[in-house]
Amino acid sequence: MTVASRQQLVSLSVFAALVIAWEILSCVYTVEAQPGEPMVAGWGTLFTRTLLTLSDYWQGGFGVPAVADGAPRSYLAAVLSILSHSLATLTRLASGLLLGGVLGLALGLAVSWSPWSRRLVQLPTQFLRALPLLAMVPLFQLWFGTYFLGQVLFVSYGVGMIVFAGVVNAVRNVPQIYLDNARVLGASRTHLYRTVILPAILPAMRSVVLLSLGAGWGAVLAAEYLGAQSGLGYIIVYAQQFGLLDRMFLIALLFILYTSASYWVIERFFTRLLAWSPSSQAANP
Amino acid sequence: MEPPAVSGRIEAVAGPRRSEARFSDDPFRAVLRALAVLDPFRLAGALLFIAVWELASIFVSPIILPGPLSVLRRAATDFWSAPALSYYGVEDPSLAGNLAYTAENVAIAALIGAAIGVTLGLLSARVWFVRAAMDPIMMTAGTVPILIAAPFLLIWFGVGRASAVSLVAFYIVVILYVSSQRAALNLDSIYENYALTLGAHRGLMLRDILIPGTIPEILGGFRIALAGAWGLEAVSELLGSQSGIGKVLEVLAGATDPQGILATLLVLGCAAILTDALAATLIARFAAWRFAGS
Amino acid sequence: MPTETGRRMIELVHLARNYTRADGQRVSAVDDVSLIVPEGEFLCLIGPSGCGKSTLLQMMAGLVGPSSGAIVVDGKEIDGPGRERGMVFQRDSVFPWMRVIDNVEYGLKCRGVAAGARRDVARDYLKRVGLSHVERAWPRELSGGMLKRVAIAAVFANGGEVLLLDEPFGALDYVTRRQLQEVLLDLWEEPGRAVPNVVFVTHDVDEALLLADRIVAMRNGAIVDDIPVGAARPRDTDTLLVPDMVAIKHKLLGHLGLTHSALATASERGAA
Repeated sequence: MTVASRQQLVSLSVFAALVIAWEILSCVYTVEAQPGEPMVAGWGTLFTRTLLTLSDYWQGGFGVPAVADGAPRSYLAAVLSILSHSLATLTRLASGLLLGGVLGLALGLAVSWSPWSRRLVQLPTQFLRALPLLAMVPLFQLWFGTYFLGQVLFVSYGVGMIVFAGVVNAVRNVPQIYLDNARVLGASRTHLYRTVILPAILPAMRSVVLLSLGAGWGAVLAAEYLGAQSGLGYIIVYAQQFGLLDRMFLIALLFILYTSASYWVIERFFTRLLAWSPSSQAANP
Repeated sequence: MEPPAVSGRIEAVAGPRRSEARFSDDPFRAVLRALAVLDPFRLAGALLFIAVWELASIFVSPIILPGPLSVLRRAATDFWSAPALSYYGVEDPSLAGNLAYTAENVAIAALIGAAIGVTLGLLSARVWFVRAAMDPIMMTAGTVPILIAAPFLLIWFGVGRASAVSLVAFYIVVILYVSSQRAALNLDSIYENYALTLGAHRGLMLRDILIPGTIPEILGGFRIALAGAWGLEAVSELLGSQSGIGKVLEVLAGATDPQGILATLLVLGCAAILTDALAATLIARFAAWRFAGS
Repeated sequence: MPTETGRRMIELVHLARNYTRADGQRVSAVDDVSLIVPEGEFLCLIGPSGCGKSTLLQMMAGLVGPSSGAIVVDGKEIDGPGRERGMVFQRDSVFPWMRVIDNVEYGLKCRGVAAGARRDVARDYLKRVGLSHVERAWPRELSGGMLKRVAIAAVFANGGEVLLLDEPFGALDYVTRRQLQEVLLDLWEEPGRAVPNVVFVTHDVDEALLLADRIVAMRNGAIVDDIPVGAARPRDTDTLLVPDMVAIKHKLLGHLGLTHSALATASERGAA
């Protein structure tokens, strides 16, 4: 058995052991937060009864009435509620990533235009970056409300700070020899930016994007924990207030699925994009 | 035996006195480097920022955006005593007291997290079994925001220190696990072999090779982890706590007090900067060999 | 120079080392090598890349175990690394997290020598390799040649009976290489202490002729020649022009596949 397959076997065994241990625990620890809602829900219960309870979060529509209006729980309602809340969370994340990414990139490139502009903004940005992002949720909520705008602005702030700092750093690290080469061949300043600097910072952008993704997910979750009316984070925190561990666990599993998938997609994208890059940055995160 | 006349990075011709000044434990150089931070452009930038902020606070009503000076004043007065806070159920009516609570939690979590994370990480680099078992868990935990665990911990440990500390500790474990593992894996095996041929026995490998060789990268990870730890601790307190900076923020937000919020964030920011500077000095002390001569 | 007693310091007894490649093929890195090295001899192992000389050295250091056969050093069969067999590696092995002086002291520290005593010894050896002025420097601040001097000082300060050097000067420029060869010989022939054995691996024929009492040529994992070098010390580049030395050089070049005819055939075949 090769080394790699031995390692895979151990990893799979550990994973399997955790799954089995959970199931055993659910049989042993049968405390229920509410009738029909065990604190440690076995895998069977999780995907049947618990799944059904998620239909509580469906607000009604598409011909499926809300449980709050007296309708019975149904798998359809559960699926619809999962989809709608996932959509809410993902829209906030995507908008925040896009807005923060674009602004961060633009500002980063603008500031890098001259070494003086970089030094000018250095102290204020260092100070702003020192303020822990997650602690600023109340501020953003106060200024921009607890609805979509507030959440997206919060996420874009977090993402923007990371992208800004990353872009400035990456531009600084562009090997002078590339710039000299282009200038000697007659490139103008803007042409230099477009054809040399942007491609040259692409490998560094990989880790910046991955970092922003992580921060974005954290920011969205924090924003939803602290005052949203929809979204996966909202469901978890709402359920937490009633001690409904089983629902929380199911949503958490879903969340893990989303985050892992998003990382996988971004990493695949960058591997393709950076196929030309000789630097180790493309190979190692 | 004469040293070579020119030999790359250091001119070996230098006499004994002058040569001492060339190397990294030169305090004069360090002072010069620190002074470089205060160059006029950077200072101008900071002043500009404050000026713009002050102007903005006048245009946008100061109730929504308080000016920098009023925020500073508020932070100063509330630091040691803020009786208003006690009306909202905050245990310790002062910014300092709550900061201390938050800082204590971060410190405890840092110690626990570092101990577990570094041990597991170093072990995983040397024992394939540990790595195969722990890597999938740690890597998954690395992609998911650690916040996902917060509501669960709140239920298990209730409102109080334990849930916040365990959340932050878990976060630090994951980050330091990755840092230590990578540092140990990147450590060239030649050093172990060299030590063995000099007569070191296997037991010394940990103390003389593994730990000194991996400390710079581990401390670097610790510095990064510390920055995130403050925010995570604050959110955990926001979710459910009777004390701490997070609780203060929650209370002030509920009272629609942006000046208070900004003042509290200022205090929190200063604490984060302080710990970051502390981490940086640790790195300068223990990782000087990595960056010497650059 | 080997001592008068002719005592055997190193004995390689039917040493072999095999590997299984990824495609399942068995490769013999060292193939039934037997050798007796008397005390105090400066031995050079020479051969083309892949001839097994480095593997042989690693086995003598105890870092790699033999597939079969034994290595006996000073009457004891070895089973692992030890301070009596110090090694200078091809790459830089000096600990980057210790200052130069601490590096040179390291072996003595492992043995439990008192701080003052070992500092004196380390300082003495640093002086002899010409690095007194960088005693407190970090290795990162030094050039490649200086790092090699530190490694040599460390290994000599540790006082082993056998010194193994694996193409130590291969990465250095010609001038530094010649200077370091002198440093090595200087320390080796230090008066007032027992002359240690040196086993020096190289692919540079001139280097071997300048340094060695005896040259063993290897090819494809086996010894193909064993030539004593009688030239008197100190040697310099003029010594290489002496007819006896030229003859030895031709023999060695032949073993390396570097004779005029061999090279001509090789280029015909298109081998680079």
